[in-house]
Amino acid sequence: MPTPFTPEARYEALRATKMAHTAEKWQVIGAMNHDDWGLILPPPDRREVVQALSGSGVLINDVRLTEIPIEPNHPSGGFFGAIAVGRAFRTLLERHPVYLDPAASLAGAIMVNFMSYRKPHWNPDLDFSHLHADQKKYQIGSGIGATQHFCPDLAIGLELGWSGLLKKIAYYREVNAPRGAAFYAGLTDVILGMQDWIGRHAAAAQQMAAAEPHPDVRRNLAQIAELNARLVNEPPRTFREACQWMLWYLIAARMYNGSGATGRLDVLLQPYYARDTAAGVLTDDEAAFHIACLLLRETGYVQLGGPDAAGADVTNPVSYLILEAAHRIKIPANVGVCVGDTTDPSLLRRGVEIMFEDRLGVPKFLGVDRTVEGFARNGYPLELSRQRAYSGCHWLALPGIEYTMNDLVKINLAAVFEVALAEMLAAEVEPGMADLWSRFTAHLRRAVAVTAAGIDFHLAHMGEVFPELLLDLLCHGTIERGLDATAGGVDYYNLCVDASALATVADSFGACAHWIEREHRLTWAQLKEHLASDWAGETGERARLLMKRGPRFGHGGTVADEYAVRIAQVFTDLVKEQPTPAGYNMIPGLFSWASMIAMGKEIGATPNGRHAGDPISHGPNPDPGFRKDGAPTALAVAVAAVQPGYGNTGPLQMDMDPGLGRDADSIAKVAALIRSHFALGGTQINLNVLDKAQILEAHKDPSKYPDLVVRVTGFSAYFASLAPEFRQLVVDRIVAEG
Amino acid sequence: MTIIGLIFDIQRFSIHDGPGIRTTVFLKGCTLRCFWCHNPEGLRMTAEVQFLPNRCLACGACVAACEHDGQHLDATGRSFTRARCVACGACVEACVAEALTLAGRRMTAREVVAEVLRDRVFYETSGGGVTLSGGEPALQPDFAREILALAKVEGLHTAIETCGNVAWPGLEALLPFTDLVMMDLKQMDTGKHRAATGAGNERILANARQLAQTRKPLIFRTPVVPGVNDTAAEIEAIAAFVAELVALRAIASNGNGPADISWELLPFHRLADDKYRSLGLEYRARDLNPPPKDHMLVLAESARASGVAVRAN
Repeated sequence: MPTPFTPEARYEALRATKMAHTAEKWQVIGAMNHDDWGLILPPPDRREVVQALSGSGVLINDVRLTEIPIEPNHPSGGFFGAIAVGRAFRTLLERHPVYLDPAASLAGAIMVNFMSYRKPHWNPDLDFSHLHADQKKYQIGSGIGATQHFCPDLAIGLELGWSGLLKKIAYYREVNAPRGAAFYAGLTDVILGMQDWIGRHAAAAQQMAAAEPHPDVRRNLAQIAELNARLVNEPPRTFREACQWMLWYLIAARMYNGSGATGRLDVLLQPYYARDTAAGVLTDDEAAFHIACLLLRETGYVQLGGPDAAGADVTNPVSYLILEAAHRIKIPANVGVCVGDTTDPSLLRRGVEIMFEDRLGVPKFLGVDRTVEGFARNGYPLELSRQRAYSGCHWLALPGIEYTMNDLVKINLAAVFEVALAEMLAAEVEPGMADLWSRFTAHLRRAVAVTAAGIDFHLAHMGEVFPELLLDLLCHGTIERGLDATAGGVDYYNLCVDASALATVADSFGACAHWIEREHRLTWAQLKEHLASDWAGETGERARLLMKRGPRFGHGGTVADEYAVRIAQVFTDLVKEQPTPAGYNMIPGLFSWASMIAMGKEIGATPNGRHAGDPISHGPNPDPGFRKDGAPTALAVAVAAVQPGYGNTGPLQMDMDPGLGRDADSIAKVAALIRSHFALGGTQINLNVLDKAQILEAHKDPSKYPDLVVRVTGFSAYFASLAPEFRQLVVDRIVAEG
Repeated sequence: MTIIGLIFDIQRFSIHDGPGIRTTVFLKGCTLRCFWCHNPEGLRMTAEVQFLPNRCLACGACVAACEHDGQHLDATGRSFTRARCVACGACVEACVAEALTLAGRRMTAREVVAEVLRDRVFYETSGGGVTLSGGEPALQPDFAREILALAKVEGLHTAIETCGNVAWPGLEALLPFTDLVMMDLKQMDTGKHRAATGAGNERILANARQLAQTRKPLIFRTPVVPGVNDTAAEIEAIAAFVAELVALRAIASNGNGPADISWELLPFHRLADDKYRSLGLEYRARDLNPPPKDHMLVLAESARASGVAVRAN
C-alpha cells in the first residue's frame, strides 16, 4: 500500500504490482506470444495449468480456476448453445474471486479465460470435412468457430445499466416468445452472474474499508464499495462510475471469449467528463487516473479522435487525457490516434512525443481518411463509414451493428504459391513466369471460394455452438430480434479476409523472374531440386544466396515491387468479385497477426531464398533486408502501394531508433513520415521505438529488461514474455534495418 | 542529352542533411582526405571494389570471373589484390554472398532524379527535398548541375553539402539551382588544416567569402574532432570568421535581405572500421572518442561569446 497516498505513489504501486503479476505469469505459464490481456493469476490454491485454444484461435498455455463445475451437454464433453453456455459462464462469474487493489480507483480483474473450459470448442456433429482438403491445401485459417472480433456499442450499457438490460431482455422475450427462449435465458444468466460478481466486490470493498487504518485508502475503498453497490443495477452517473461500468463489461467480455474491443473511448467518456468538470467534482488528474486504472486492467483497442458521422473531428480533452493516462501508467496499451485531414494535428504530435518518451509502442496511428473512403467503396454512405471504430489489432467495426470476423480469416499466399509452382514444375510444359502467374491466380480464386464457404458455414452454425452472449448485450438488434450477432442479430455483415505472406511470395516471383528468366543464372529444373532438398549442399546454399540477393519488394522500382502490387490487386479483386454463396460481403485486408512462425512451419522452401519451415513475411511489410538502408520512406511507399482499399487495413510495421525523436524538429519529421504514408494510401502504422543495442542484449538475456515492451504486430507485449523464436522476429527486423 | 556521373549511394529518409525529410545523393570523389571521414567509399573518383572477408563463402566464383588475376583462393585462404583490380565488377556479379560489392555506380542525372522523386510526398509534407553530398558534389559539376536543375523543374527544394575545396566556377555553376548551401569549416590555421585533411584551407575560406556575398541561404558546419579543433580557441577562431562572413553579406546586400547564414557544431562520431578495411584503407580515427556532451556545450558557449549564433547538436 503506497504511503503517502498520492497519485505518483499510486501509479508507482500499480506499475510495480503489474510487474509482479507479469513475473508470476512468466513463471507459471511460460512464454506468452500474444496480447498482454491484463489477466492476473488465480490464487495459488485455486489454479491449474492447461493447454487451451485462445480467443484468437491459437493454442496457448493457460491457467484455469479450479472448482468451476460446468456440466457438459454433449457426448464429446463439451457444452454448446445459449442455455448451457450462459449457465456455465454464470457459474464462472459466481465462483470468480474478488480482486481489489487499494491503490486503484476501480475494482475488478479477471483471472481466467472461459475458453479454457471449452473442450472441444466446436460441436463435432457440425461437420465441415468437405472443406478440409482445400483448407489444408491452401493453409486457410477458416474462422469457423472463432470468436468475437467485432465491436459492441458501449453507449447502450452506459445508458441502461445491468437492470436496464435485464428489462430490455424481459420485454423482447415476451415480444418474440416462444422464439429465442434459449438465447434470452443465456443472456439473463450472464447478467445475473455479472451482478453477483460486482456485488461481491462492493461487499468486499466495504469490509476492507472498515478494517483500513489509513484515512485516504479507507476513503478510496469506501467509494469503490459505494459506486459498485450502485452499479449492480443502475447505469453510471459519474465519470468514475462510467469507467467502472465499462471496466466490468470489458473484462467480462475478455474473460468470456477474448474480446478486447473498446472503440471510441474519448467519445463515450466525454459527456461524463463535461458534466463532472463543470460541477467541479472531477479534476483532469483524477480523470487521467481513472482512465489509467481502466487501461491497466483492460488492454482493449481504443480509437482517439477522427470524424463523427458528419465529418467533424471528435477530438476533445478526454482524447488527450487518455494519451496522458497511457503515458503515466506506462504499460502495454492499445491506443490508436487518428491522423486525418480534419483531425486535430496536435493529437498526432502528442502521440509521437509519447511514443519516443515512453518507448512502449504506444500509440498506434490510424489512417482514418483512407479507411473511411475505403469502407464507403463497399457501397456505404460516408456518414456510416465515419462511424467505424478502431477496436482491434488491425481492424475497425461499426459499434453494435456490424459482425466482422476481423483477424479470424487468413489465406496463406505462400501456400497458394507453393501449390501453383509445384503444379507447373510437375506439368509437361515449359515453365515460365506467365504460366506461373496464371496458375497462382487460378488457385487463389479457388482459395477465396473455399474461404467464402467456410464463412457461410460459420455463420450458419456458430450461434448454436457458442453464441456471442457478452457482445450481444451491447448490440442493436440482437436482443430486439432474439438472435445472436452471428445469426442475423445485427444489420451489417462484412467479413474480413486477410492475405498473409505477401513479401515472401512477391520476392519469390521476383527472384524467379530475374535470375531464371532474365539472367539465366539458374534453371527451373535446378530450382525444383533446390526447393525439394531445402537448398542442401554448397550448390544449394549458393543458389539460395543468389535468389535472396534478387529484386526485393520494398526496394522500389524492382520486379518484386511490381509483383507485390499485382498480387495485392488480384487478391483484392477476387475477394470483392462476389459475395459468399449465402450473400455476405467480404472485405480484403493484409495481415498475419502473430502467425508468421506458425504459418511458415507449413510451407516448404520458397524461391526467395527462404528455408523450409522458416517464418513467412509479416503482414504487408517487405521482408527485412529489402534495402541496405532500410529506409522508412521506402517502407512507407511500399506498404501504401499494396493496400486493398476497401476499409480494412494492411498495417505498416515500423521500428525506429530512439535518436529519431531527440528534439522537436525530429518529432516533426516522424509526424510528416506518418502523414505521408497515409497520404499515399496507408491505413495503419504500428510503430516501435527500439534501441538496437538494447534489443540485442535483451534477446540474449530477457531478464535484464523485464519492462521492455515491444509492439510485435498489432499488439504490444513484454519482450521478455515472448518465446525466443518470436523475439528473433523482432531482432531480425531491427538488425536488418541497420 | 543527359549527363552520366558516378555516385556511391542514394539515401532515402535523410534527416540530417537539410530541412525536412530528404533524399541525399552521394557523388563519388573528394579533394580532401579528412582522416575521420564517414564516407571513405566516396574519396576516390573512380569505382572500386569493397571486399568483406567475413561474408566470403570461399566458393571461388570470383576467382573464375576475374580476368585480371585480382582474386585468389587457395589452401591459405582468400585474398584480393587491389593493385590489379580495374573495377570491372565481374567478381561482384559473381559473388552471391555479397562479400564483394562495387562502390560507385554510373547513373544519368535523369535516373538519379527519378529515384529521388519516389519520396516526393514526404518532401511535401515535411518541407524536405534533395541534397547532393558525397564525396564532393562540385567535382562533377555538370552532372551535379543537371540533377539540381531537373529537381528544380520538379519543384523540389535542393541543397548541396560541399567541403569548399574546389575551384570557384565549379561551385558557382551549381548555385542557380541550389536553395541551400551547407559547407564545412574545420580549421582556421592552414597548416593544421592540411595535417587533418590533406589540404590547406585558403581555397575553402575564399569560397566561403564568395558564398557570403551571394544571397544563398548558408549553413556552415564544423565537425568537432578531438585533437583537430575541439578547443575553445579553435572554435573562437572559426566564430570570428563566421562573423566576418555575416558582415560581408550585410555589405553585399546593402543591409537588405535576410542574413540567412547559420552555423552548427557537429560532434565527431566514430565508425566501425569495417568500411575502411573493405576499401583497403586505414581508419586513423579508430581510437578517437566522441566529444562529451557538456564539452560541446562549452564550445558552443565560447562560439556565442564571439557574438555569433550557433547550434550544437
